[in-house]
Amino acid sequence: MPSAVKTYVRLVDRMNRLIGRAVMYGIFLMMAILLWSSISKTFFLPSLWTLEMAQFAMVAYYLLGGPYSIQLGSNVRMDLLYGNWTPRRKAWFDAVTVLFLIFYLGVLLYGGLSSTSYSLEYGERSATAWRPYMWPIKIIMCIGIFLMLLQAVAEFFKDIARIRGTELGRGLDIGPTGEARPAADGDRS
Amino acid sequence: MSYEMIAILMFSTMMLMLLTGQRVFGAIGFVAVISALLLWGTGGSEIGFSAAIKLMKWYPLLTLPMFIFMGYVLSESRIADDLYKMFHVWMGPVRGGLAIGTIGLMVLISAMNGLSVAGMAIGATIALPELLKRGYDKRMVTGVIQAGSSLGILVPPSVVLVLYAMIARQPVGQLWLAGVLPGLMMAAMFILYIAIRCRLQPELGPALPAEDRDISTAEKLRLLRAGLLPLGIFAVMMVPFVNGWTSLVESSAVGALAAFLAAVLKGRMTKEVFETSVRNTLGISCMFMWIIMAALAFGAVFDGLGAVRAIENLFTEQLGLSPWMILILMQLSFILMGTFLDDTAMLVIVAPLYVPLVRALEFDLIWYGVLYTITTQIAYMTPPFGYNLFLMRAMAPPEISLGDIYRSIIPFVGVMILALALVMTFPEIALWLPNTVYGR
Repeated sequence: MPSAVKTYVRLVDRMNRLIGRAVMYGIFLMMAILLWSSISKTFFLPSLWTLEMAQFAMVAYYLLGGPYSIQLGSNVRMDLLYGNWTPRRKAWFDAVTVLFLIFYLGVLLYGGLSSTSYSLEYGERSATAWRPYMWPIKIIMCIGIFLMLLQAVAEFFKDIARIRGTELGRGLDIGPTGEARPAADGDRS
Repeated sequence: MSYEMIAILMFSTMMLMLLTGQRVFGAIGFVAVISALLLWGTGGSEIGFSAAIKLMKWYPLLTLPMFIFMGYVLSESRIADDLYKMFHVWMGPVRGGLAIGTIGLMVLISAMNGLSVAGMAIGATIALPELLKRGYDKRMVTGVIQAGSSLGILVPPSVVLVLYAMIARQPVGQLWLAGVLPGLMMAAMFILYIAIRCRLQPELGPALPAEDRDISTAEKLRLLRAGLLPLGIFAVMMVPFVNGWTSLVESSAVGALAAFLAAVLKGRMTKEVFETSVRNTLGISCMFMWIIMAALAFGAVFDGLGAVRAIENLFTEQLGLSPWMILILMQLSFILMGTFLDDTAMLVIVAPLYVPLVRALEFDLIWYGVLYTITTQIAYMTPPFGYNLFLMRAMAPPEISLGDIYRSIIPFVGVMILALALVMTFPEIALWLPNTVYGR
């Protein structure tokens, strides 16, 4: 493989891993917001911001964490046929079908960008008592989708490499049965 | 092209895409956006992203990462070990008692988390080796664990019912309450089956030999304390919710914190357990969310087509089927699909089609949620492509073959079908509790 491709895959893998590993502690952020919400409701005045803040945290959590979940191989595949194929055949099919995934993410990003620019232009606010601006979370969402797109392209290169009989990156994605559980050795590095 | 044709085309393309083994969310999302673009041109380009916004605004979805985290903390930290010991000592002297105890263990685990996978992991790692060592029949044991783990999504809190609630636009609280009695009924039926079977064939589940039973009453009572943990976690989560102090979502955060603290206090929250739980929570939550996001887009295209009305029309007017026959057909199709689809994927793909149909046929959607949950669990366990079967295969020791696993579940599937039939014939089993509490 050309060294530019290798560098790309390495950089994207590393960046998304770093982001994912930072974002995964977001579970505690969500927990904290929700706990504060129940405490403030019981003992003081209920906070206005908790509900939406928790929702924003959740969206950031799964959109920014998505690429890392791909690296972990957490995304289910239907393994009726796939499960029985040889690694090479899997790579062939993946190399083709990942293009569909890239297309989906592309359309997602396109819609996201147009929605974000609308929010920025008109200063869109959420229709709740707290009335937060919508553009910050939309920008985060677009970044998440963009990172996912970068990761999907990296997966494409990895599949091509597999077809050619080499391995790019750490190749964590294909588990033995393609089941939902992340590979146990997902963090050996 | 007629709308029915477009709908059928979308479905078959999606099925084909899924068969290629690409990630489920990619397959569904692609079909959704390409159909939107073809149907509505550039106007359809925002359908993917508006699904993401819709997902964000659906507040109860926050329970999902909370319960997933809770499940991982419970299974990874192995705080359920003591629970198993409790059942072991108390139920051991009875024929088949350890198997019955395992079902009891599963009920308690179900009350602490909302996924069936966690129950399966705990059952396969803790109960399975013990039961095999005590001379229990291996088919009996694997069947018990698979059947028991299915209670996880019926007994509240249940993640599957949260997802169903989102799609059917029904209150989660009522759905959860509706799952309680059917869940307990099914557990009782499993226990009854094990007890009768082991009475007839004692070699399947021998009682503990006398020397193993020699445990002082004080020790026995001490072990009962293990049962306080699930009760405590369940109470911490449910009492504020039922009293209206916290919302459902806040309760789930309280529950997650309680499970986390329990593991810390018991000294089981090692660095490794912490890392695995947090990482896997991200992985599984992302899997769920991305699938839901793609499926919402798919559903939006479907809604835009008005395809549901066309299909409903096809069933009732043109084929002249009675509502009950349609209902039974739907359940059968679920079992068929469950042989190769994961239950979440199945729910998000099919529910946008079935739920309006159920509503149009004037069935109760809360009741249908319970039926759906039982059916998916049956589907999950039926060979040749049950999802649980493969998980079991991955977790079980090598002396248990796939053939054993296949045969082991037959009687339990029978029991579950009986339970399903009971809930179908007597909707009160599911509806009595929510009706009483919420005064519907």
